[in-house]
Amino acid sequence: MARYGMMIDTRKCVGCYACRVSCQMQNELPVEVSFIKFHEIETGVFPNVKNEIFAVQCQHCEDAPCESVCPTKATYTTEDGIVLVDPEKCIGCKYCMVACPYQARTQDHLTGVVEKCRFCVDLVAEGKQPACVSTCISTARIFGDLDDPNSEVSKAIIKYNAKPLRQDLGKTKIYYVR
Amino acid sequence: MLDSKISRRGFIKASAATTVLVSAGTASFQNWSSKYVKASGKTEIKEIASTCNGCSSKCGIIGHIKNGRLWKLTGHPDHPSSKGKLCARGHGYATLVYSKERLTQPLKRVGEGKFEPISWDQAYKEIADKLNTIIKENGPGVVSLTEDPRATGKFYSPRFIQALGSPNYYTHHVVCSNSRDAGFFHTLGVTATSADIGSSKYIMFIGRSYGDAIRPSSVQSLADAKEKGAKIVIVDPRLNNTGNFANEWLAIRPGTDLALVLAMSHVLIKQNLYDTEFIKNYSIGFEEYAKELENYTPEWAEKLTGISADTITRIATDMGKAKPKALIEQSWRGAFGCNYENSTETGRAVALFNAMLGNIQQQGGSIIGAKSHLGALDPAKYPSPKKPELKKAGQEEFPLAYEEQGVATIVAKNAMEGKMKAAIFHHANPALGYGNPKYMKKAFSKMDLIVTIDVQMSETALLSHYILPDVTYIERDEAIESLSGKTPGIALRQQMVEKVHPETKPIHQIYSELAKACGFSQYFNFSLDELNEAMLAPTGITYQQLRQKGTIMFPDMTVELGKMPELKTPSKKVEFSSEKFKEAGFSPIVKWGEPKVSPKEDSFRLITGKQAIHSHSQTANTPILMQITKDYDLERIWMNPVRAKDLGIKDGDLVEVKSSEAVSKVRVKVTERIHPEAIFVPSHYGITSPYQKTAVGVGFGYMEHVPFDFEARSGAGNIQEVIVKVRKVKG
Repeated sequence: MARYGMMIDTRKCVGCYACRVSCQMQNELPVEVSFIKFHEIETGVFPNVKNEIFAVQCQHCEDAPCESVCPTKATYTTEDGIVLVDPEKCIGCKYCMVACPYQARTQDHLTGVVEKCRFCVDLVAEGKQPACVSTCISTARIFGDLDDPNSEVSKAIIKYNAKPLRQDLGKTKIYYVR
Repeated sequence: MLDSKISRRGFIKASAATTVLVSAGTASFQNWSSKYVKASGKTEIKEIASTCNGCSSKCGIIGHIKNGRLWKLTGHPDHPSSKGKLCARGHGYATLVYSKERLTQPLKRVGEGKFEPISWDQAYKEIADKLNTIIKENGPGVVSLTEDPRATGKFYSPRFIQALGSPNYYTHHVVCSNSRDAGFFHTLGVTATSADIGSSKYIMFIGRSYGDAIRPSSVQSLADAKEKGAKIVIVDPRLNNTGNFANEWLAIRPGTDLALVLAMSHVLIKQNLYDTEFIKNYSIGFEEYAKELENYTPEWAEKLTGISADTITRIATDMGKAKPKALIEQSWRGAFGCNYENSTETGRAVALFNAMLGNIQQQGGSIIGAKSHLGALDPAKYPSPKKPELKKAGQEEFPLAYEEQGVATIVAKNAMEGKMKAAIFHHANPALGYGNPKYMKKAFSKMDLIVTIDVQMSETALLSHYILPDVTYIERDEAIESLSGKTPGIALRQQMVEKVHPETKPIHQIYSELAKACGFSQYFNFSLDELNEAMLAPTGITYQQLRQKGTIMFPDMTVELGKMPELKTPSKKVEFSSEKFKEAGFSPIVKWGEPKVSPKEDSFRLITGKQAIHSHSQTANTPILMQITKDYDLERIWMNPVRAKDLGIKDGDLVEVKSSEAVSKVRVKVTERIHPEAIFVPSHYGITSPYQKTAVGVGFGYMEHVPFDFEARSGAGNIQEVIVKVRKVKG
């Protein structure tokens, strides 16, 4: 049993969208549906300017608000800490979409199923990295077991003092370096 | 942080919009979801190693084929450009294979923009008849072939045009790196060095952005260098997406990069921080150059570049102290690939600055790469066409341009003057991307024969008499590609899936069959496999092994760092003074030169560059990539807030961009990330071909505004010698 999580180093992110597209292909998503969204924050005045890029997806919250509001228990957390949706149980009520603080959920208008990042649970089961991690051109993403103090991700979170995107919105399993 | 972007309340407002998404992917969401539930364990997945075609880097890829259909790609772990990673366009462009807007059969033009299907045999016959007639009447110097070369094209295309008796083979470099290539070639004997980024201590980029025009391994090297404490400086009128890695952004006034490099070179001499041993042993003409450099003080450069003299002095001094593990990265198009009238000289000055740092063939410096030793077809069995005696068109006018690449836009100029009668375009879209589209259209209309070989209906295809449909890179084998660099290697592009459209053909087959129709099949009497076997022969690697691995590197042939190779310049040394330049009528040493045009208070210089998700115009019609453009309004032009305020323009406003050549409408991104004198427009948009339904009408075509021109030394397109005015319009 693990508690899977990720660290995203925004200092290394060049906003290339490789994670988005590899995720879409891995999961065979329609082109308009993406599990990863990008936010840019520009600070400073020319020529002293900084541009930060935040790639945001399901943060796999501990006590996920989307899970607690789900009336059919379609959203659940696996033993390994990955928040998933069972499409057979989802009734498409969108309560989870409203509850998600990160706007990380997206709905298929054909099926009504609301989905989101699954930490590529199939790949992880095979011992591989999620698609967004393995393709990241600047190695800005590190994935692994947060409960294992020797995992690369655990060590990196300490080394770079990585923090959840919005600590005030609860504990998550994705940590950001700014 | 992120307060305005992410909040519970904010999302409730947005949720209504999210529900109207239209499903149009290659597999439906429902399909995916149920597949996930049932687990995909039973599905057979085949992995095939190949190479990407998303840009000229041709990264190694692994295609994952699910039930005979391309599912996804991953980066090839052994390929030096991908190293296991892949960028967005690398992933997304592969979906081209299933595009609904591909060319599916040979076409013949029957009126402006009107085409009728024609059989391959009939097309070959008519093209061959026309080529032969044109050559009979005018000689072979009036026919040409232009491409953005890939491995098969590199071998077959020059061979085909030579078989016609013509030397007129051209590449896309005229709007890529012709200036840099000419500058480097006549200085170092190679058109480009590579940069040993991972071991460097001080790295300067001039217009080059690893985070926008991506080669994944380069970005990884930069991340490594940064982690190890390297200093990284970005010189660019805009803070590009590599900005996060930079310690410093020098927001240079566009067109003045040469002044910066000259002043930094001046400082190296003043401070006695150049490598005197290296200069003494491996160069000629340094004294002359040093004398000229006396004029170029940091104070002088400050006035031109807008970068303070102190900054110039500090950076040059620090680079001098970090030498030889310091470098100016060599770029591709960057700021001096084909942009300004002074770009070739900037190329020379950059190569010479690196030489002054003594970084050539040093760890953390500039590397002159090694090449793989590959075999060739047995000439007794497979005769090659004779090398034409004629000079390549354009060589006379631009003797400094790198001959192998040529000056591709000379085809249009000569056509306009009635001196070029036929053009074959393969994997190239010159009508939109090489020169001013209005000029190109007019020039092309004067030619007797234009044949375009492509996978989609490009703007060039629309102006052609015949269109021959290529298969995509996902559906074909190619010739073996030689990878040069610090460690050389080979890579193979392989067919991943059965061809989708039965009437499409791979390029090697098209050339061989067209050669037969033209009457010179003896020069194409081999199969692609025979060619590849012959190339592999000296390596000891079997074709089967290469097919399995896709990329094989030769670590034994890694260049020896610290050992200066003999250069391929006339003097066999670094040329601070070039006789070749003198012979061509230019100063043998680099001197400052102004760009051709400069904006005034009420105008801007239009500058361009790549975004990470697109590659020229070829990827624009890829729905999975264009959706990103649409989601994030990436087609907008960039404008500095100070200028925007003066013009009453707010972020997101619709404006009119007017140059001497065209008027375009587009929305504005107001950002502090751009020099007040410049307007930045991404180079991928403005598709006008109505057949490319995803891309047509998005943004505007940069080249629409570029006057048709040649840089005097290299023949490059001078694509940033453009002045525009911008005004707000209603919309």
